[in-house]
Amino acid sequence: MVDLIKVSKTFPPDIQALADVSLTVSRGEIVFLTGRSGAGKTTLLRLLCGMEFPDKGVVEVAGRDIGKLSRSDIQALRRRIGMAYQDFRLLPDRTVSQNIAISMEVAYRSNQFIRKQVRRLLAELRLTDKHGARAGTLSRGEQQRVAIARALANEPDLILADEPTGNLDAETTALVMNLFRRCNRAGATLIIATHDQTIYRQPGNRVAVLRFGRLRSGRLQVRRSAP
Amino acid sequence: MNVLLAILRQTGRNLRHTWRSQFLSLLTISLSVLIFSFFYLVYNNVLNAGRQLDDDLRLILYLDGMPGPELQEEYRSKILKFDEVEKIIFVSPEQAYARFKEQLGEDSDLLDDMPRDFLPPSIEIYPIRSLDSLARIKRFSDYLQSLPGVLKVRYGREWVERFYSFVKLMRAVVVLSGILLVLTTTFMVAHSIRLSLLSRAKELELLRLVGASGHFIRTPFFLEGALQGLIGSSLGVAALYLLFNWIKIRFAGTAMLDLFPFVFFPFPVQVMIVLISTLLCAAGSLSSTRKFLRL
Repeated sequence: MVDLIKVSKTFPPDIQALADVSLTVSRGEIVFLTGRSGAGKTTLLRLLCGMEFPDKGVVEVAGRDIGKLSRSDIQALRRRIGMAYQDFRLLPDRTVSQNIAISMEVAYRSNQFIRKQVRRLLAELRLTDKHGARAGTLSRGEQQRVAIARALANEPDLILADEPTGNLDAETTALVMNLFRRCNRAGATLIIATHDQTIYRQPGNRVAVLRFGRLRSGRLQVRRSAP
Repeated sequence: MNVLLAILRQTGRNLRHTWRSQFLSLLTISLSVLIFSFFYLVYNNVLNAGRQLDDDLRLILYLDGMPGPELQEEYRSKILKFDEVEKIIFVSPEQAYARFKEQLGEDSDLLDDMPRDFLPPSIEIYPIRSLDSLARIKRFSDYLQSLPGVLKVRYGREWVERFYSFVKLMRAVVVLSGILLVLTTTFMVAHSIRLSLLSRAKELELLRLVGASGHFIRTPFFLEGALQGLIGSSLGVAALYLLFNWIKIRFAGTAMLDLFPFVFFPFPVQVMIVLISTLLCAAGSLSSTRKFLRL
């Protein structure tokens, strides 16, 4: 699903966000991307959805080189990717339902599908009572859940989540992780950038550690907990 | 269907979000259309009046003697050589006398002592009703003056000149108000769309991030501009219709309105004004999105 081959990215003046990063994520896999702040996790996710382009190397998503895609191809690719941003990127003057619906509206989904998905996600993330509230009036934890709901709403093939549990309590974190796993079982590939050890220190999880823009040891680090 | 619904929903949101600037644009467009169409209506009615006056417009050539049939044919061919005319009538002194007597009515006895051939023979030429150009009539008159046997050429020179000066002035006013209409509609709409784009920068950025196509983002703004043009110009034409009716009622029975019928635009012209304004507004919106919307 995702292939990064010797990808480097430098921001002006000379901040190296990523250096020779190679990573392969198969379809239907969940990968946790960890590392300290500034390690390059967000940059890596941004490269995957075409918000940034690598200085060197190749970024392939669903078998297509992002650097060679036309503008409309990138738009189409983004509709297949659900990204939950660290800073949420919600529209504060719109209702919770409208914020969630936006990712389905751009994909020209039917009204019936949009209503059904919004209702389901609100229920699963325990936000039903907030459906008509303006996003700007919500707490940060609630806003985070709305951002996650928007990322999942269009049933994307690839879900990118940037610190999706940063503002959530343990119970809500478990709720969100269960939802992610259900999407994964339905066929979605997930890449989750996180500091939260409680969500990736689970048996069988695949974890990639970024440090100063490099994947540790220069290659994917897979850590499997003892059974 | 989903595409259409999604785009219409987005257009509705745009309109709700920036209704204040939309309202101002709408007002400006309505006023511009009203000003332009008012002058255009007056101009049209003046032209209509002109056409009615044209029916009475004729050039009269006074001759030094009544031409025989051969000479009449020669005059006819020479006149037609210069320009096509509606009709040519040869008036003998006797016919002129009879007409004059009829015109005098009860005072016709004044002519009793006059010989029946005291009036000169003449040729009445009725030009084709395409008298938009005063220069053309003048040229025609000069040509006729140069024909042998012609003593004098007479036509309502003074009123024709005045009338055409007025038509020229009206034409200039219509052109100027047309330019005003073009400028206000395109610039006003372009400006309001630009404000709309700026005020919704955050949302547009999010739409890009979730994969909205250029079509999805641009079309609602295009429709917004076109809608402003459609509603604004319809309001302008409707306001003109009310004004027109008020004038008709207010000035009913006055000499001017009795002399020339004051008529409103026919339906196709109304549609054309609305259609052109809509297209201009859509063009203004398109230019703004092309300039300020980076996808």
